[in-house]
Amino acid sequence: MDFDIRPYDFVAALRGWLLISAGLAAVSLAIAFLLSVARNGAAGLKIFTSGLRSYISDTATVSLRRVLAVSRLTLLEAVRRKALLVFVIFSILLMFAGWFIADANERPELQVQVHVTFLLKSIAWLMLPAVIFLSCWSIPEDIRLRSLHTVVTKPVRRVEIVLGRVLGLSVVFLFVLAAMGAVGQLWLSRRIPENAKAALQCRVPMFGELYFLNAEGQPGNVGINVGDVYAFRSHIQGNSRARGVFVFPKFDESALTVNAEGAQELLLECRFEAFRTVKGSEQSVKKGIQAQYTLMSNPREEAFMMFAQSEVLKPTAEAFRNAEFRNAAELLKGVAGRIRTNPQELRPADYVAMYNAMDNASSVLDSRKDQGLGDLAKIFLAARDASLPIPELMARQDAGQRVEIPWEALAAAVDAVADSVLKFSPALLENLPRLEVPLPAFHVSEYHGGDDATVNLTRIPRTLRFVASDEVLARFLADTTATWNAEGKLVENGALRATLVDDLVAQSKISRLNAERLAVVLGEELAAGKLTIADGKLTLPESGSWFVFYRDLISLQRLISEDSEGWLIEKDLVNDLAKEGYLRVEVACVDDQMYLGMARPDLFVRKADRPFWVGYWKAMAGIACMLLLLVVLCVTVSCLVKGNIALFFAMTFWIVGQFYEFIMRKLSGLEKGMGSFESAVLLAQHRNPEVGMDVSSTTMKVVQAGDKSLEGILWVFSRGVPDFKVFSRATTFVENRFDVPFWDVVLPCIAVLGGFLIPCVLIAGALLKFRELELK
Amino acid sequence: MACCSFPSVPGHNEATSNMANAVIEIRNLSKIYRDFWGRKKVQAVKSLSMDVMQGEVFGLLGPNGSGKTTTMKMLLGLLFPTSGEMTILGKPASDVSKNERIGYLPEESYLYRFLNADETLDFYGRLFNMTAAERARRSDELIELVGLGKARRRQLKEYSKGMTRRIGLAQALINNPDLVLLDEPTSGLDPIGTREMKDLIVQLKAQGKTVVMCSHQLADVQDVCDRIAVLFQGELKVLGRVDELLELRNETQIRTGSLSDAAIADVRAALAKHNVTNVEISRPRADLEQLFLRTVRESTERPGRRFSTEEVSASAGTGRS
Repeated sequence: MDFDIRPYDFVAALRGWLLISAGLAAVSLAIAFLLSVARNGAAGLKIFTSGLRSYISDTATVSLRRVLAVSRLTLLEAVRRKALLVFVIFSILLMFAGWFIADANERPELQVQVHVTFLLKSIAWLMLPAVIFLSCWSIPEDIRLRSLHTVVTKPVRRVEIVLGRVLGLSVVFLFVLAAMGAVGQLWLSRRIPENAKAALQCRVPMFGELYFLNAEGQPGNVGINVGDVYAFRSHIQGNSRARGVFVFPKFDESALTVNAEGAQELLLECRFEAFRTVKGSEQSVKKGIQAQYTLMSNPREEAFMMFAQSEVLKPTAEAFRNAEFRNAAELLKGVAGRIRTNPQELRPADYVAMYNAMDNASSVLDSRKDQGLGDLAKIFLAARDASLPIPELMARQDAGQRVEIPWEALAAAVDAVADSVLKFSPALLENLPRLEVPLPAFHVSEYHGGDDATVNLTRIPRTLRFVASDEVLARFLADTTATWNAEGKLVENGALRATLVDDLVAQSKISRLNAERLAVVLGEELAAGKLTIADGKLTLPESGSWFVFYRDLISLQRLISEDSEGWLIEKDLVNDLAKEGYLRVEVACVDDQMYLGMARPDLFVRKADRPFWVGYWKAMAGIACMLLLLVVLCVTVSCLVKGNIALFFAMTFWIVGQFYEFIMRKLSGLEKGMGSFESAVLLAQHRNPEVGMDVSSTTMKVVQAGDKSLEGILWVFSRGVPDFKVFSRATTFVENRFDVPFWDVVLPCIAVLGGFLIPCVLIAGALLKFRELELK
Repeated sequence: MACCSFPSVPGHNEATSNMANAVIEIRNLSKIYRDFWGRKKVQAVKSLSMDVMQGEVFGLLGPNGSGKTTTMKMLLGLLFPTSGEMTILGKPASDVSKNERIGYLPEESYLYRFLNADETLDFYGRLFNMTAAERARRSDELIELVGLGKARRRQLKEYSKGMTRRIGLAQALINNPDLVLLDEPTSGLDPIGTREMKDLIVQLKAQGKTVVMCSHQLADVQDVCDRIAVLFQGELKVLGRVDELLELRNETQIRTGSLSDAAIADVRAALAKHNVTNVEISRPRADLEQLFLRTVRESTERPGRRFSTEEVSASAGTGRS
């Protein structure tokens, strides 16, 4: 089960519902008209219009009081006919269930899962037959006993009877469900062993997007296939540049939790899969393989990583990654030259990669217009447009067509990009900083997926103290110098402030040894005239950049850490690492010859937990929606046919609805496999699908037409059958101790119920209105 | 339409002559029952045209399968006509709002057996959008009227057939209807209940209400109906006032106190002078209903006493209860 639910598009669902409802209404009216004409001849039109007018009038004059009268009657009926006995059965079941399902030796999470699953499934499965039977026989019994005949001789609209029945049955079942839920809550809180009670959690996950970097640092949507659940998980190679990159959008302070000491922290929870290629010792297998998180803020990577998709452009990507913009520009010039001289040397895939790279770079740079990178974005955009037609034109040329490929235009566009990168390199350097915070490695268990997968929870304090890389250190020192300089905290009486070291230690939280080292270096630079003091401030010659100043010092190894721990600096998780509004977490596999498998839902930010019972009652809401939908469907069908036939229809709806997702996948072509007729022929011929049928072309056409017809029927079904799986989703979340997202899980349940309720009530009202109740 | 020796001939002319006061108007009404495949099974009603006037008690008679119940169910919208038109209280039969002024007692009292009398009347009262106070007042009145005061809290499944008919009647009157349709109203009732039902029908008429009833109990119909229609195999055979239809124009009945044998001989002689020879002179008989009602009344007043044949005979004809 994937707990990473994609956002529910309510507007699209509403649009689809309106379309289907309009289609259904049109088809129903057409059928009614044809039937009327067929039965009554010329008078059919008049009968049809008067019937339609009467139906609309009935529907428009529905009286709430009459609806409530019928629902009250239904309620009394259910109570007096002892329909609520199902609740007693449930209570008895719970009384004895504890004997069989409790196992105190199991992991706490598993104990919780077993108890919650048993409880929620029992409730759903006990309610299901009660709901179906009562709803299917409610109106047919009324008709059979003719008690409905007396009712309809009163000024009751038939649609009011339907509404009253639906409402009454719904109230009955909601009451029973609420009672079961309350008893279940009591039972859970008493039955779950003390040692497992802490696992009664309602985790609130925040999922991100995932992409992969391969061992060469090239980005891609999937990692390596190790032959194990590849459709879901991809793997990254150990001890290489391969990474799983999780990007959490809309990351802010609300994603943090508060620990027992009252400090804010980030919780990262993962369930990666370890894959081992060499046999290790029993101990090492038990221990698992090592993984490591690196928290990143890397706009350069985001802007230019797509260059790495092509072998030709990969060195350019590397240069961008390392902020070597001059080098990148030269490499791009080289590419432009190759396009001019021997364009066919580059494959069409290189030009596709070029298009993607230019497109991605332009969109990232365009988002930083306010930092002066808007013009550069336009240059990249022009190069993107120039590269767009190339692959297709090359293909046509390969096919023997005579086409003119605008190589010169493309080369000129790439040249322009190179020139602009050079021109904008200071702005790029300034505005595309790379900040990385490596976290300590942790072990991932080698159990494969499923419920046994070991969950790793990493706690990351909001204030991160870490060994800075060269670029991070250079930026840190440059920012500190610029800020302090502006505040006049560096210079005193024409020299460096005497308390500079103490101030650095106290305010910038760097070690005393490193602070002293910095003060010494600054003093040396002053003495050498590379820095000057003017107006009480440290000044760089020719308005140079502090970042470049410190980067050069670091590269000259002038700022080697005096502290054995290295340059430890502090950064704020939200304000520094996620200041762009998102958090990027790179996952690496540390061990050589090992692989780490991951999918999008395998790593999430765990927000503050909610009380377990919040999720529990949301799951109840999901079950309630399912039961109410069944009430609606059963009552609707029972307005047309007898109870037993209605039961058959309702069960068909329910069973087919369980396979809704499969049906949609099949219809959209995502589900592999042939049609029924083709499968039957293959079975008869003892042939496999790869080989195909051994039949004449005419038979082939007939078989395929048959399968197409079946697919058409399936399409019609898919428009009229509800997705019943949507209701059990909330239950699965709770069983796995996740919070149930209201907008993405509970709302679809309500929407599906509402989507069926309105047309079903209207249809049922029409069926009952135009039905001759006394007809034998 | 086939005609017979009866004095009144049914037809469209009479039906249209009193349109001003008509509560029910039926024109060329036909009903064909079909099977699942649309094939004709039976034609239950054939081109029926008639009116029911305001304030009259109208009886629909006919043997089983003659179409009288089908006609009534079409009036109520429980069945749809194959052809023809019907208006009730000025509205088409398919218009559900007409039911606000109609009360209907089905052949069997098809009520919710898990409800008690109070709940039953309250439920049907709600269907007329009556207020709680109005429902309570009306329930009390009707339960008193049908004599179910002691059983009002018992569920209907515990009721006898007669009691069920009574509560059925009460529900039919919950809305104080202008038109009351009664399907076999005396079915299942004991003679006292039957008498009370007939009295009630007369009372309803006195209140200006229109009553339409179907019945096999011809004596009951004769007692209370102003007009009747006789259907046979879906066709209207007779339509007219009961008095006129039952009047024997070629016979004369003279009723006096008890006569001696000499007086009887004188009467015969006097009639012979006028060439009347086919004379039958005998003591008239009370009907069984009168006897039963009187016995019950006397027994209630003087319990434990048994009546002799002489007593019964002497008091016969002393009036109805």
